[in-house]
Amino acid sequence: MFKEIVEKKHFSFHEGFDDWRDAVRAACAPLLSDGTIEKEYPEIIIQKVEELGPYIVIAPNICIPHAERGRGVNDTAMCFMKTEKPVSFDPNDPDKDARIFVVLAATDDEVHLNNLMQLSETLSDEAIVDKLLQAKTGDDLLAVEG
Amino acid sequence: MAASEDKGECINMLKVIAACGSGMGSSQIIKMKLEKVFKKLGYQAEIYHTNVGDAKSQANNYDVVFCSESLVGTFNGTRATVIGLKNLLSEAEMTEKIEAANLPK
Repeated sequence: MFKEIVEKKHFSFHEGFDDWRDAVRAACAPLLSDGTIEKEYPEIIIQKVEELGPYIVIAPNICIPHAERGRGVNDTAMCFMKTEKPVSFDPNDPDKDARIFVVLAATDDEVHLNNLMQLSETLSDEAIVDKLLQAKTGDDLLAVEG
Repeated sequence: MAASEDKGECINMLKVIAACGSGMGSSQIIKMKLEKVFKKLGYQAEIYHTNVGDAKSQANNYDVVFCSESLVGTFNGTRATVIGLKNLLSEAEMTEKIEAANLPK
């Protein structure tokens, strides 16, 4: 899963964010720089979370920012971000803190579904998640599945 | 419980919705995981994934709704059993909650 992410430079590492909204924007930034998404995409994601709560935090430490297809997305891709400090989505619920972010953007259903299958398999493996939490460079990402 | 008429090869198909905010990320992951878990537990299940708005309007036609814990409140008043998940990647949590809900096989 990480080969393409690293080749396309769809990853970033950060110390931390005081506001989860800034974390979502930063996680999307590499996709914005190469035109995979438009500026509105992170804002649509943020709006949805403000409306519905942090449903994008799918497991402890793991957040998959995404929004409905069709608006602000030009291509199908995944983009990885890791923070050293946990980003808080709900001050009353530490289970909704996240350090691993994988932004999903989709225009092609088949490629997207394949991405999701890889993502779900990879992030269900606790040993891989532990390595991702330690990762600091693109090379570290390539090594996690090795 | 759906009392199925016994006509030889009768199958009680459990009708399931997997819901998330957008219908294109988390809900598909829930669906993938549920397919595995239901199979393991011996259920025949038909799983539809969608966004919460659509899920809410359709929930009364389904037996069970699965969604992230943070979305459970959205389904207040629906007839379907609503199961909120803390960890969408945990097959163990799904198994435990399906067993606790005592869904008809």
